[in-house]
Amino acid sequence: MQQEFSRSFDQLNDIVAFTEQVFTDQGIDPSTRYVVDLCVEELFVNMVTYDTETDRDILIEMNACPGGVEVSLTDYGVERFDPRNAGTVDVDAPLEQRTPGGLGLFLVLKMVDSIHYEYRDRNSKITFVARSKEETEEHNVSD
Amino acid sequence: MFQIDFSDQGVIAVEGRLDAAQAPRAQEFLDQVDGPCVLDLYKLEYVSSAGLGVLLRTHKRLMGTGDGLKLINVNHHINDIFTYSGFDKLFEIEVAER
Repeated sequence: MQQEFSRSFDQLNDIVAFTEQVFTDQGIDPSTRYVVDLCVEELFVNMVTYDTETDRDILIEMNACPGGVEVSLTDYGVERFDPRNAGTVDVDAPLEQRTPGGLGLFLVLKMVDSIHYEYRDRNSKITFVARSKEETEEHNVSD
Repeated sequence: MFQIDFSDQGVIAVEGRLDAAQAPRAQEFLDQVDGPCVLDLYKLEYVSSAGLGVLLRTHKRLMGTGDGLKLINVNHHINDIFTYSGFDKLFEIEVAER
């Protein structure tokens, strides 16, 4: 399933409703829901905040995959930005050295099971997979 | 739906989804708070990095006067986010018993 969303934080409620619909229609394990909600928001907000050279809608695609759910966000007519290269956050730093910001992509990279990036014809597409806890544990055991 | 307000017990109750759209509202409310402050997160369903920024900014401001934020009734999803973010080392956190 797919849907386009305009470039506004006000769209977050509609994105949650879309996600709810996909999970219901495709019988996706709800244990992945928090990860999907968080990662979709962080990636969407990042695109809206930093890809300011375009006013085109952002496409979100979401489908069940073996053991979980695969989600893609595509931003059209923008510069390349590979979230896998986002800076890390020192989560052990003391309070005086911590600053608000920078946690979004850090959490995405921490929480997804895999993430892929494509950049073609100025279109930026990020795809991630979130697996249910049981699947992740089985993968970890088999690794 | 997101709500933040003082409860009967004098703590601040936070409900719903604290996302990037709601973070400015939460920040505006918490900017008015002084002294030691307890946030009851029992009905908070979701928090993103925007919400974490609100909590961190407020905690740092209050710690400047020796106080700070205490987070209580935290559900396990949100506690995971706090742990991944290192907030478990910065805040006093009580996890919900459920």
